[in-house]
Amino acid sequence: MENVIELNNVSKRLKGFSIEGLNMHVKKGFITGFIGENGAGKTTTIKLIMNLLKPDQGEVKVFGLDYKTNEKEIKERIGFVYDGNIFFEGLNLKDIRRIIAPAYKRWDDQLFYHYIDKFELPLHKAIKTFSKGMQMKASLSLALSHHPELIIMDEPTAGLDPVFRQELLKLLQELIVDENRTIFFSTHITTDLEKIADYIAFMQRGRLLFNQSKEELMDHYAVVKGDISLLDRDTEKPFIRIERTSAGFTALTNNISEVEQMFEDEVLIEKATLEEIMYYSKKEKQYD
Amino acid sequence: MINLIKRDAIIQKNQLLIFIPFILFFVFMDTHPVIIFLVASIFIPFNAFAYDEQAETNILLNSLPYTRKEIIAARYLGALVYMLLSVALTAITLLIFNKPFTMEQIGFGISMFVLFAACSFPLFNILKQGYISLVLLISFLFLVGIVPKWVDKLLPHIPTIINFITNLSNLVLYGSVLLFTLILYIVSWMLSTYLYQRKTF
Repeated sequence: MENVIELNNVSKRLKGFSIEGLNMHVKKGFITGFIGENGAGKTTTIKLIMNLLKPDQGEVKVFGLDYKTNEKEIKERIGFVYDGNIFFEGLNLKDIRRIIAPAYKRWDDQLFYHYIDKFELPLHKAIKTFSKGMQMKASLSLALSHHPELIIMDEPTAGLDPVFRQELLKLLQELIVDENRTIFFSTHITTDLEKIADYIAFMQRGRLLFNQSKEELMDHYAVVKGDISLLDRDTEKPFIRIERTSAGFTALTNNISEVEQMFEDEVLIEKATLEEIMYYSKKEKQYD
Repeated sequence: MINLIKRDAIIQKNQLLIFIPFILFFVFMDTHPVIIFLVASIFIPFNAFAYDEQAETNILLNSLPYTRKEIIAARYLGALVYMLLSVALTAITLLIFNKPFTMEQIGFGISMFVLFAACSFPLFNILKQGYISLVLLISFLFLVGIVPKWVDKLLPHIPTIINFITNLSNLVLYGSVLLFTLILYIVSWMLSTYLYQRKTF
């Protein structure tokens, strides 16, 4: 399968934070959700992909191309949505369009106005008067109107009301029907990803914990519940993290077959949600 | 690139409305034409820089299909374009109000603008957001406080300097001033490109 984004052995040291030896591949034609807690390095990774930051070591390739030689071609094919407004606050959408549109060879005015209509956005009001949801819709309209092959979004659903979040997810699903298109977006709302993501990349403290298809992930991880008396040094081995209460233990495993073999039907094995995977993985790391 | 230059006019559309009264104020104050040409030239390019100081603007520009080289080039070329337009507009205003001025004064105003721009543009890439006005203020106070003392020291030598200058033909004099400021502008441009390419957003 073709990779749209490739980060090979990328290191970047910033003040108080660093990414070391990051390897991440994003597959063409799918929606990849990028999760991790605040400060895990999601935005830094997105900035590395957008060439807003340059890696200290390693290489970043988008569409198989290098930023050193093909910067314009790469960006021509990317649509970006960031967390927060990056457009000139005092301007209205009409003026912002006049600045953004000529930057792209493939800008499609018809498509732009289609989104403006669809999202019911005012063209003549300053963008600073927009609500968070409207700003997001405006950013999306501007990001999608040049037929981007790769759509990169940093926390697009943060701060949106549930209704628009659903609309946005639906829109992303419509967009991905075009199999040449790839969507990569970061979020910390894992239920969004359970609905629409094909792949999940999970970042923690500057490291990529996994990047797997959602099905694989769901098959791979499970939450195990049982009596504390079952646990000892050996039986604890297949668990990533165990939480003990007086009622019993709850633990996350990525080795379901071993757990089944070890405990047979003495424990309850449940599918893990993304949130549980994130939660227990986080706990684990606090002790190492 | 032209799009990037046009951008300044779109962003500053509203501020441009105060541009004319701004020039008129100086015209009616009977300010020296050189100063009028200088302040008129500074108006748009420095306003544009103030906008671009914001981190968000840089994130936007760098996410669009432009290279960092082009972004800086547009700023330097744009500054010259808007400066020339402002000078033309100022000249027309002066003509309308029957205030005399000479080509030398235009040339001198332009040279001063180019000199000032060359010195201050790279600062926008070195200093953190928000500090630039402070530094410009301090350098201004420094100029006012220190430079007169240097001039005092220079005074005994001034007849020699004046002699030297008056011996030059006008052409050589203006030519070398123009050449000097242009070289400085290009060096400043190269320095800004170097700095901007290493910037993180």
